[in-house]
Amino acid sequence: MKLKLVFTAVSLSFASLSYAQEATPLEISGSVDTYYKYDFNKVPNNIKTSFANDHNSVSLGMIDLALKKTTGKASFVGELSFGPRGQYRSLVSGDDNTGSDFNIQNLYASYAFTDKFSMTAGFMGTFVGYEVIPPTGNFNYSTSYLFSAGPFQNAGIKGTYAFTDKISLMVGLFNDWNVYQDMNGVSHIGAQLAVSPVEGWSAYLNVLSGKSDGAVGTGTILDLTTSYQATESIKIGLNAADYSVDNDGGGYSGAALYLQNAFTPAISLGIRGEYFNAKGTDGAADADVTAITLSGNLKSGGLTFIPEVRFDNGDAGGFLKKNLIDASKNASQFSLALVYAF
Amino acid sequence: MKSLALLGLLLSFGTAVLAQGIKLSRDERGKLMYYEVVDKKDTAASVLAARAKAYFDVAKDLKVVAATGDSLRTVQGKFVIRKTAFMLARPSGEVTYNMYLGLREGKYRFWLTDFVFIPYQRDRYGNFVPSTTIGTPLETEPGKLNAAEWESYVSATEKSAAEFARQFKQQMSAVSPAAPQKKEAPVISTQDKKW
Repeated sequence: MKLKLVFTAVSLSFASLSYAQEATPLEISGSVDTYYKYDFNKVPNNIKTSFANDHNSVSLGMIDLALKKTTGKASFVGELSFGPRGQYRSLVSGDDNTGSDFNIQNLYASYAFTDKFSMTAGFMGTFVGYEVIPPTGNFNYSTSYLFSAGPFQNAGIKGTYAFTDKISLMVGLFNDWNVYQDMNGVSHIGAQLAVSPVEGWSAYLNVLSGKSDGAVGTGTILDLTTSYQATESIKIGLNAADYSVDNDGGGYSGAALYLQNAFTPAISLGIRGEYFNAKGTDGAADADVTAITLSGNLKSGGLTFIPEVRFDNGDAGGFLKKNLIDASKNASQFSLALVYAF
Repeated sequence: MKSLALLGLLLSFGTAVLAQGIKLSRDERGKLMYYEVVDKKDTAASVLAARAKAYFDVAKDLKVVAATGDSLRTVQGKFVIRKTAFMLARPSGEVTYNMYLGLREGKYRFWLTDFVFIPYQRDRYGNFVPSTTIGTPLETEPGKLNAAEWESYVSATEKSAAEFARQFKQQMSAVSPAAPQKKEAPVISTQDKKW
């Protein structure tokens, strides 16, 4: 019986091989992450940027599973995540969304009409901003205020045209931010101009504008994301953004600078400095916060160990003192994270 | 139990077959290199040059960056390194290289060198893309943390270089593999009463 199973499996493999001659193999990849964080004021979720909110606890990030397949000019990507980082801490639905047992990170199909022009439709990681939800895409484990305030994902349809191998333009129509279904129709238009002026330097100018369901006005985000691999070991990144909602509906602006140095292929150190301004609504004053984050990356195979310390200062943070009652202008934390990519 | 043993034997055999291959040598600079001299008696250098040009024109990952007369070509290329398991695979990085081709009457030589590994990482859309533009030379000592991973990159590069050499030599010999005979689907008559 077992022998039959073996031969059946071998036969199926050969059959699949013959059938898939025009296609790339199915790609399966993903990541797993977990962390320990200690807030020096002993306040859970004191620094309220996305993810890694627990205090003095070995806590979960998420398991992220992605599938990709390309057949000729067509391809699809499906990426699901399970765990706090990918579920209720990613979307605006909040902790009470007990019905959410997973989160879709990407679910889209693409078709490359030519070498220069392709179209994509579905639910995609946002094109806005520097940082991403999967921890494998970020150097720092904790996230920036700009990332946390901006869109995470956009559902929509977009076309991308590459004028040269250094300049491309994407234009698309999108739903409201972070929703699978848009309740007020496809309401946003977005575009991205991508340029690579010199080798090692890439820059993305992004715009996303539209009126979300229930919003007081049209919101427009302008975003610059750029990075430069200055030398074999030094990388510089910058993210600057402004988001404004009409009719005094608030928004934010800010900038984050990323400096990283790889001492060896396995050991890197990076610092992120950020200024973030939360715009007041209905005549309320703005509030701001600055944050400095120092992170190490120690890699062995697919595993990355990220020790990190972070200091935040400002009114916009909403920090608390140890008594959990009085407001504080400062917060700081220490964390150790394990991220495994496969 | 027997079937498990058979499966183990099959897997071992598969691994052994995969593990067979060339080892990269080193040039006078200490760089890893795949080097081969091929005799093509009765073939003029101009014919070899034309065959090489035809190959470089259609090869997707090759770009001719310099040509010295008819005798020497410098070509840039890359191998995508994939982690595979059964029918699944994912790219873990790419190895860029320079290929040098020298032509003479009745023979040619080529060598692949300046191997540089660039790791891939998944971007926000789930695609694997280079994580940096400046890679690490394949001769670099990886250190204890990445030794096994690095060894697999070197091994994959050796296999890719051997496969590239096989294809290139086939082109240079101008002997195309026989086109597979297309099997016509058998026509079965349902009107046949002798069924």
